[in-house]
Amino acid sequence: MTFWSKVFTVTLLGWVLGGCTKDGQLTEAKKNVVMVEVTSQTWDYRLPWNPGTVSSARGAGFVIRGKRILTNAHVISGARYITVQREADPRKYPAKVKFVAHDCDLAMVEVEDPEFFKGTTALALGNIPELESVVSVYGFPIGGDRLSVTRGVVSRIDYNAYTHSGRESHLAIQIDAAINPGNSGGPVMQADKVVGVAFQGFRGDVAQNVGYMIPTPVIRRFLQDVEDGKYDHYVDIAIRWMTLENPAMRKYLGRPDDGLGVVVTDIFSEGSSDGILQKGDVLLSIDGHPIESDGSVRLQGQPVQLEEIVERKFAGDPVELELWRNRKLDRATLKLRPAEMFSMYEFLYEPSPRYVLYGGLVFQPLTSNLMGMLAGSADLRLRQTYSLFGQDQIYRETPEPVILSSVLPDPLNVYLRGLAGQVVREINGKRIRTLADVEPALREGGERTVIRFEGDQRPAVLKKAEVDLATPRIMAQYGITEVSRSGIEGRRLAKGSYSRTESK
Amino acid sequence: MSSAFRFLILFFLAFSVQGRTAGLGESRGSLVRVRTSIQPFDQFRPWQKKSPFGLSGTGVVLPGGMVLVTASLVANRTEVGLEKPGSAEKCAAEVEAIDYEANLALLKPTNAEFLKGFSGVALGNNLKAGDTAEVWQLERNGEMLRNQAEILSAGVGRYPSDEAGFLVYGVRVSLPKRDDSYTLPLMRNGMLSGMMMAYDRDSQEGTAIPVPMIEHFLKDSADGKYEGFPTLGVSWSPLRDPNLREEVKAPSTGGILLTRVNTIGTAGRAGLKEGDVLLAVDGFKLDEDGNYRDSLYGPTSIGNLVRTRPYVGTHAKFRISRDGNEIELSGSYDRRARDEVAIPSLQFDVAPRYLILGGLVFQELSGVYLQEWGDKWSERAPQRLVQLFSFQQEMKLDPKKRVVFLSQVLPSSMTAGYQHLSGLVVTGCNGKQVGNLEELASIADSAPDGNLVFELMDDPGKLVLDASEVKSGGEKLCKAYGIPALRKL
Repeated sequence: MTFWSKVFTVTLLGWVLGGCTKDGQLTEAKKNVVMVEVTSQTWDYRLPWNPGTVSSARGAGFVIRGKRILTNAHVISGARYITVQREADPRKYPAKVKFVAHDCDLAMVEVEDPEFFKGTTALALGNIPELESVVSVYGFPIGGDRLSVTRGVVSRIDYNAYTHSGRESHLAIQIDAAINPGNSGGPVMQADKVVGVAFQGFRGDVAQNVGYMIPTPVIRRFLQDVEDGKYDHYVDIAIRWMTLENPAMRKYLGRPDDGLGVVVTDIFSEGSSDGILQKGDVLLSIDGHPIESDGSVRLQGQPVQLEEIVERKFAGDPVELELWRNRKLDRATLKLRPAEMFSMYEFLYEPSPRYVLYGGLVFQPLTSNLMGMLAGSADLRLRQTYSLFGQDQIYRETPEPVILSSVLPDPLNVYLRGLAGQVVREINGKRIRTLADVEPALREGGERTVIRFEGDQRPAVLKKAEVDLATPRIMAQYGITEVSRSGIEGRRLAKGSYSRTESK
Repeated sequence: MSSAFRFLILFFLAFSVQGRTAGLGESRGSLVRVRTSIQPFDQFRPWQKKSPFGLSGTGVVLPGGMVLVTASLVANRTEVGLEKPGSAEKCAAEVEAIDYEANLALLKPTNAEFLKGFSGVALGNNLKAGDTAEVWQLERNGEMLRNQAEILSAGVGRYPSDEAGFLVYGVRVSLPKRDDSYTLPLMRNGMLSGMMMAYDRDSQEGTAIPVPMIEHFLKDSADGKYEGFPTLGVSWSPLRDPNLREEVKAPSTGGILLTRVNTIGTAGRAGLKEGDVLLAVDGFKLDEDGNYRDSLYGPTSIGNLVRTRPYVGTHAKFRISRDGNEIELSGSYDRRARDEVAIPSLQFDVAPRYLILGGLVFQELSGVYLQEWGDKWSERAPQRLVQLFSFQQEMKLDPKKRVVFLSQVLPSSMTAGYQHLSGLVVTGCNGKQVGNLEELASIADSAPDGNLVFELMDDPGKLVLDASEVKSGGEKLCKAYGIPALRKL
């Protein structure tokens, strides 16, 4: 899931060090590029009570205005100890993460010691470079310990998946310079200005000389977002739309053959468009930009997807839409908000995994991390709950499906081990909608606790008195210090449109 | 020196035990080579078939002059031929009865004289674990090779085209590589004890369809009307867990918990319900793991009790415990829970139905279609289709209807903007419900000029075509894509 395992390879290195770069540019970059060395801990969702495995990695970063250091989120995610080091100064300075934006793979790191910034000049941000123009990539990729520079040409400017988050797509710039592990977070320069942050590439066996950088509009948005002291998530119009290229469909909707408009096919409840847009609406323009029938709008003469308009905005910002509803022109204004209902598909890095332990039964909320751990062993129902969670708006009923993720063997649960991997429906008659529902529900009912699952699975039945007796034994046996970690702690969840005051 | 010598002796001993060649006479009366040409249907291009291939097996001639083989030898056949061992005399054959679940088929030579002089093989007794038997193979010259086999196990296990399980023998045998080995008979004392259906050369173990299955199949097909093996139509869970027993108020011993009951199945129509504890079937007590005590095999899974022993139409008797009260219920065995489903799983020899409207290709969902996505079909195929198929009972799909879906789009001027769509379930068209392909076809055929509006279960929810363009553009579409017909219903 990280750049080590998924995206990068170790095979190719481009032109290393200097070469034909302009002297001035190298010096300017050389002053401000920093090596970021990180010791991080990765949670083990199989054993959610454990602090996880420790590993070390190296990335790059650079100093910008205000004594701030920019790098990739994936460089510092799960960091327990960070040091930064400049080319001109052999000392390693401890650093701290100030802000992290996993959705756009950017992070800001700060160093307390003012000594560190002596001799830095702060790099300025440029604009989107032209296609075919040359850029230089600075970083500390494998193959040596000192600063490395590779050059490449801007090959493509397009929307692309940001693999670190697991689900997000934003504008990304493809370059043909080699980007290798250790390049991550380093500046991509053109004419003494930063035009991007190197962040991901392809394995050598998939494609060669394909590297990606985060362009400055995404960086600027991040910097603007954190101005208020905290990072908010990207916002989303939370609809699905279809191109309006089919002549019969155009006629059916009463649209002239003018090559404009896309049709709204789905609106996610609790999203920005909920209650405002309707299925079958034709979106004609967004903030004044006409929408082509393939879903693109023109920004500075370049065709980009219509979502790009929303990309630069923040929670609470309005979006003006011109639309065609019931064969009449209409207008609508959306107030943007983050799409919490899709947070299920984001990998979680910082928060400690949540769980509830009961008689050796481990309950965990369904997350991308848990699914990644279960990989091929998850049964069909669990996989479907995960894959259809957004599409079927399962979040309306169950904002956070709870899974019996494992059964820690103990004489108490000898007949329950086959139930691992089941989706919990109710405990002691109480419907389970988030992990927070589990502990109160376990206290309900009589002397037996009855746990029911989705589908035609047998229930799990435990005697409360036996569980109470067994709990200290199980915790000692498996080295568990806390019975549960179930607080929501800033976890972004859908609200769930169900009524909370249901009767039993 | 001495150890090497011993090894040599052992080797020869083993060899002589393994392959005893019998005279021509024996094979002449009992075995026949069966050569089939197989051509499966292409579910992704329902208007065509895949490339053909040949299979060859050894069939068992039964006393009446019919030939018994495994069903997988003749699945999706274009031709079946018989050949006498020891001569190249051939004759075409027809499939008289076939059961893909039980993996058995009965062939009848088109020339009634062809098997004249074959005495045929009678059915032998049931075998149990530890019994010895022989697996017979044909040499190229028609001589017979008898391979010593040992029955390792006899219990309910998986069949290639069945979801629940039937009685199966585990067989250890060392089979040399010979032609015509796709199907081989398992023999004992010159009588048929089973049909080998799978063999693994590395472990030298295989599985065989046992006598009770063959007997059931032959008896059922004898009247010319084949009905198949019955099914209860329930899901169940073992009841070993004392806490669970207490919760469901089960008696002190025995019984299994019914976790789902199909209302149209044998059990459902007899009045069994979800949550009942099934204690006994037809007087056979069930233990907590779902086993009854078989007179020959000892503890054996309920699967054998309710699927192989009874016939469709025979009386069924159940004893259950419901809320702590024991009740007797009765009904009759049938297959409705298996046959009356919205999405069938077994479909051999049946050309997939399809309907092409203006380049939109519609099909009816089946297990065979999903399997076309490969071993990992449940991950690769469109998830909605997987869901409907796998959970059709709990989703209460109407068994009288079919699931019609848009399987692919053939790009044309009519389908501009729709090219990337696939795997979308169609719920209606022009405001009318669609329960099968014929209904969709008749809506399209009778639509006046104007729009054909398809309503879909999932995003994008709606697709529109011009009805008159669909009618007039069909021929051009067929030509462009080389499709023989726009529909097969």
